[in-house]
Amino acid sequence: MATLPAVSTNESAGRRWLPLVALIIVVLALAGAAEFAPIVMQRRITQGLINLVAVVGLYVFVGNSGVLSFGNVAFMAIGAYVSALLTMPAAAKGVFLPDLPAFLAAAEWPVLGGALAGGASAALVALVAGFPLMRLSGISASIATFAILVVTYVVLGNWTSVTGGQNSLMGLPIYVGLWTSAGWAVAAIVIAFLHQESRSGLLLRASREDEVAAVASGVHMVLHRLMAFVVSAFLSGISGVLLAHFLGTVRVETFYLDLTFLIMAMLVIGGMRSLTGAVAGAIVITALTELMRQAEVGVTIGTTTLAAPGGLGDVLLALLMLLIILFRPDGIAGGREISWPFRSSVAAPEIQSRKPQ
Amino acid sequence: MTVPRDLTSPGGRLVELGGLVIRYGAIAAVQGVDLAIDAGEAVAIVGPNGAGKTSLLSAIAGIVRPSAGSIRIAGRPLAGIALSDVVREGVALVPEGRNIFGSLTVMENLRLGATPRRDASVSADIDRVFADFPILGERRDQPAGQLSGGEQQMLAIARAMLSRPRLLMLDEPSLGLAPNIVDKVYDILRQIRSQGVSLLLVEQNAARAFALADRACVMSRGVFTLAGTPAEIERHDAFDAAYFGVAMAKAGAA
Repeated sequence: MATLPAVSTNESAGRRWLPLVALIIVVLALAGAAEFAPIVMQRRITQGLINLVAVVGLYVFVGNSGVLSFGNVAFMAIGAYVSALLTMPAAAKGVFLPDLPAFLAAAEWPVLGGALAGGASAALVALVAGFPLMRLSGISASIATFAILVVTYVVLGNWTSVTGGQNSLMGLPIYVGLWTSAGWAVAAIVIAFLHQESRSGLLLRASREDEVAAVASGVHMVLHRLMAFVVSAFLSGISGVLLAHFLGTVRVETFYLDLTFLIMAMLVIGGMRSLTGAVAGAIVITALTELMRQAEVGVTIGTTTLAAPGGLGDVLLALLMLLIILFRPDGIAGGREISWPFRSSVAAPEIQSRKPQ
Repeated sequence: MTVPRDLTSPGGRLVELGGLVIRYGAIAAVQGVDLAIDAGEAVAIVGPNGAGKTSLLSAIAGIVRPSAGSIRIAGRPLAGIALSDVVREGVALVPEGRNIFGSLTVMENLRLGATPRRDASVSADIDRVFADFPILGERRDQPAGQLSGGEQQMLAIARAMLSRPRLLMLDEPSLGLAPNIVDKVYDILRQIRSQGVSLLLVEQNAARAFALADRACVMSRGVFTLAGTPAEIERHDAFDAAYFGVAMAKAGAA
């Protein structure tokens, strides 16, 4: 890719990086606060940060291209399984997967290598699958990504010698805690931001606005879509790795429709047209789900337990998504990036005072 | 009705259309058009709604593929060139309704205009745009959709010029703009022309277009019914008829 055209003024150069800094601060503050929280709460926040990586990964493609992807959870699954197979102790693999090819059976990679290999494998699958699929547009492209999800699910669920099929893989090194997930969340935000600010990201957003006008301006849309799809798959793969090594087990059922809906709801509710929206969605929905979970457990007073009916959380999530789509289609962030409050209040009246022509 | 005069002229030919036909299903929007534009020349096409003017521009921009006939840019046939590469041949279109990218900032819109370029002077060119249009400079970080109609038109023209075209095509550049803004737009077009860029202009506002153009064509129902210098066309009896679609206007006076 060619270099980024230099921004020609100092003023916008500094302000450009502001959303990135703000989002990193939010993530670090969240993790820092969790440090003082009870262990259960800490685990919830860790899980929230893993979700954040997944949502940011989804955003890289969906937000910039305007094409919905139902396939990113498949990339999570690929990342999770690849990392699991590379990092599990050989002894554990001998028990669960006796038919594993020799090079995999013996592999005991360091966890970071496993994570990167997981992300890279997901990216590679996205590259191969995306090559034909990125030529489709609109709803056909979305349906095609759904096919990726289904195919991956079926393959992983039946490739018994390598994945254990429907059985869980257990004994993964559990190394993902609060700060590992926070570190990857920051990394994901940086990668997504750099992609968004790159020439490729800009050209892709132009094609989201107006495909014909963008292509007529010289944008090679398929190429930039494919590039975003690959970056998106890498981050989704990483989030799958994190989830696997947070739980210590991998099951193919984890990576299917429920998770797809959850990640997508986070992006839609937060706002799919800005990175701020992706981050906000992950945080807000994780917090809400946690509240609902506690409501479903209920409070015990004496001998009676007051609890919300089971499944309330899912119903509320669906309801919230519906309300957002109806009344605030650009989500919580409204398609904008985070900025200092006083900056935006300076910009606002300027728009109002525009001379009518 | 007059038989179109031969418009081809020798040497320095930039665009050459031969027997161009554009069909949308059963409807033929353009039914055999020949046109040649030389380097540095400004050509206006006027005519009523539905005459096929926009289809003609879209075909030269590569957005619409012709059903028959040929388009050559500087001697090269357009047929084998992908839409995203047409702009690299030096053809830029400012479509009707301007087609700016509304949620992208003014700055981003301008950077997009320079998509086909790989040289280092893009930033300098963008600074020049801001010098020529201070209002765009002031709003560089605002979404382009928040600009007024006139500002959007300036942005659309500036964006197209950043691809450094040899041919700039404009579809109804004065549509929906106040007269003083139209003056400004035409001032800019005059400037662009003085830099040696060829212009192909589609206009409802014939007077404006004629004041700028070296040559003009009247288009009606998919064909050129008249062609010549703007002065020749304005004098012609068939002009009003073709333009307004009322044959009796001048017939009654004769």
